[in-house]
This record gives sequence, structure tokens and C-alpha cells, in this order.
Amino acid sequence: MAHSNDAREALMIGRRTDGTTVRRPLSPHLQVYDMLQMTSALSIMHRISGAAWSVGLIFFVWWVAAAAAGPEAYGRMAGFMGSFIGVPILFGITAAAWYHILAGIRHLMWDFGYGYDIPTTYRTGWIVIAGTAVMTVLTWIVAIVAWAS
Amino acid sequence: MATFTLPRNSTVSTGQTYKAAPDAKNVRSFKIYRWDPDTGENPRMDTYEIDLDKCGPMVLDALIKIKNEVDTTLTFRRSCREGICGSCSMNIDGLNTLACLKPIEDVVGEVRINPLPHMPVVKDLVPDLSQLYAQLRMIEPWLKADTAAPPDEERRQSREERARLDGLWECILCFCCSTACPSYWWNGDRYLGPAVLLQAYRWIADSRDEYMGERLDQLQDPFRLYRCHTIMNCARTCPKGLNPAEAIGKVKMLLAEREG
Repeated sequence: MAHSNDAREALMIGRRTDGTTVRRPLSPHLQVYDMLQMTSALSIMHRISGAAWSVGLIFFVWWVAAAAAGPEAYGRMAGFMGSFIGVPILFGITAAAWYHILAGIRHLMWDFGYGYDIPTTYRTGWIVIAGTAVMTVLTWIVAIVAWAS
Repeated sequence: MATFTLPRNSTVSTGQTYKAAPDAKNVRSFKIYRWDPDTGENPRMDTYEIDLDKCGPMVLDALIKIKNEVDTTLTFRRSCREGICGSCSMNIDGLNTLACLKPIEDVVGEVRINPLPHMPVVKDLVPDLSQLYAQLRMIEPWLKADTAAPPDEERRQSREERARLDGLWECILCFCCSTACPSYWWNGDRYLGPAVLLQAYRWIADSRDEYMGERLDQLQDPFRLYRCHTIMNCARTCPKGLNPAEAIGKVKMLLAEREG
């Protein structure tokens, strides 16, 4: 097994009734746990949205670099961003960014010692989800209105 | 490094089905994780059909009924059957809890029962908790003081000082929380996990203990304490309604305050 430097490895060795050793199974975890409960679901979403936002920065760099490189390069970039591939990517980055900001505020609140009880955790969780939807749509309305005018 | 899949010897196959009596009216299926070190086979899920009209209300009642009447080889820990010993902690219907406190009625459809997650299995529903006990020993869960206790008297606390221990002393060390924590699954070799960190805070918060500084020193570590990412699965699953995440948060705040 790969975890040769994991102290828990020693506990994977058990004994049969006749005294010979046997490799114990690891009990199921992700396979059986309710990972869709809000606590762990929003936590993994925070990590995924953070990663997505970081990847999204590549597009930001492309935008800035294209603007610096001149009208031709900028046109190619704008053409891609406006395409049926580019728009969902931009929309996804917007949603990931808003989710990461709002969930990040929720984490800061915990770090200041507030909102640990389970009812509050669920309430703030729903606020983050609803807030992400509202702010993402608002951002796009503002962007489209600004682009159209 | 986190491994999200099960090792090859740990994948679970479908086992046998023990049918209920033909005249049973209120039948419920219990799918139970089985592993026997003597067979050399992979774990399997056996299905037991139980007549709920002839069974007590809790999941533990069903387990005891199965062991008494259907399959004596079924192995699980239990003792007090009233949520105070912490022996019958297991994964029921996707969440960790005590079988004695979990009403069968609360589960929709078949009742899936697994050992506490991401643990070495000794047999069936019995996990090896040695790592957790070793970690508990490490935080020295007892009163440490250099000042002698008053002669013929206990060490006194004000009501407020005593109240600080509420929500901490009630922990029965069933380890439902630690084994519900994905961070403990992936980093349990070095991360102490919610149960042990709640115990650590229980002694940090005790006004009679004089080793708060040393206790905080011990926890100031990227793995032991700070692998807690406030996922909150611990508080969600605690069968005693405690909040290990909040206790961990308080330790983090004490460390931040100490830094100034």
C-alpha cells in the first residue's frame, strides 16, 4: 500500500483466530457517508469554487495580455469569450467567485466565533446558496446592460 | 495523500439474504456490513429482513434481535443501550450515530449499517479505535496543576467557571464526529480530529487546570489542530448534540489572541 509513512498503517494488520496475520479492510467512507448534507457539501464546494476562480484568472490574464497586444489579439479573445464556449465559462467563473466570496464570509464569521450551532449553520448555508444565485444573475444583468449601452 | 477509493481488499460485495417469516406483516430490510478475518474474503453486505412488530424501536434492538434469533455470528459493540457508554457508534443510513439512540422509524426504506467510516475493521461493525485512543492520550485528558489542592477540600470553581465546561463534559467518546470528518479521514495520522480536540478544549477551559499554555503549545501545529476546515460534519452527526467545531474554533481564537 502507498501509505508507508502513515502511522495508521500498523493498525491495518489484524489476526485470524489461528493467530496468522490478515490485512484488515478499511471501512467505507465516501462510499456510504451522506456527503450531500449541507455541511460537507458546501465545504467541498468552497474548495472547488476557489480552484475554479483561480483557473478563471487565466482568462483574466488572457484578457489583459490581449488588450496589451493590440486590436487583433483582443478581437480573437473577445470572439472566444462571446462564443457558446466562452459565455458558459465566464458565467461559471462569476458563480464560482460569488460563491467563494459569500462562503468565505461565512468562514470568517466562524473564525470570529459566531454561528457554529447547526440551525444557524444551515440558515447561513442557504443564504450563501441563494446569495450566489442572486449576485451571479445581477452581475450578468449589469454586464449586459453596460455592454448594450 | 488522500485516497478517495477503497483499497482492493476493502470493496464490498453483496452477501446473503435472511428472509423474514412468511406471516410477518411489518417487514424492514437491514443491510449490514460483514467482514470475517477468518474467511479471507472481502467484506459483504448481508440483508436481514426483520418483522418490526416483533422488535424493539431502536436500531440496536434490531441488531440484538438479529444476533439472538437470526445470525449469531454478527459482531458489534454495545453495552448501556441508552446513549451513555458510546459503544454502539456506527454509520446508520449514511450518518454516524449511536444505534441505541437511532429509532428505526427515522430511517426511510432499508436500513444500511456500516462500521464507523475510514477505520480498520476488526470484525463486522467493530472498528479498531487504537489511533483515536492514542491521540486522546497525547492531549493528557486529566487535571494538571502544580498548586496543591486545599487540604480536605476539592478545588473550587465559580458557577461561571463550571458553566464553561457545559457542552464539553458530556462527550462520551463514541468517535462518531471524528469518523464523520473528511479531514480526519485523509489526515487522521497527524490531525487529532474533532473528538480529541473537544477534549483538549475541555481541559484548556477548565479553571482548575494550570497547564493551558502547554496545552495550547501542543496544539499549535499545522496538522494537529489546523486541519480543521470547519466542515461541520462533527456537530451535524454528534448523537449527544455537542459541537466539536465550536470547541476547535475557541482553541483557534485562544491561539490567535495569544499571538497578539
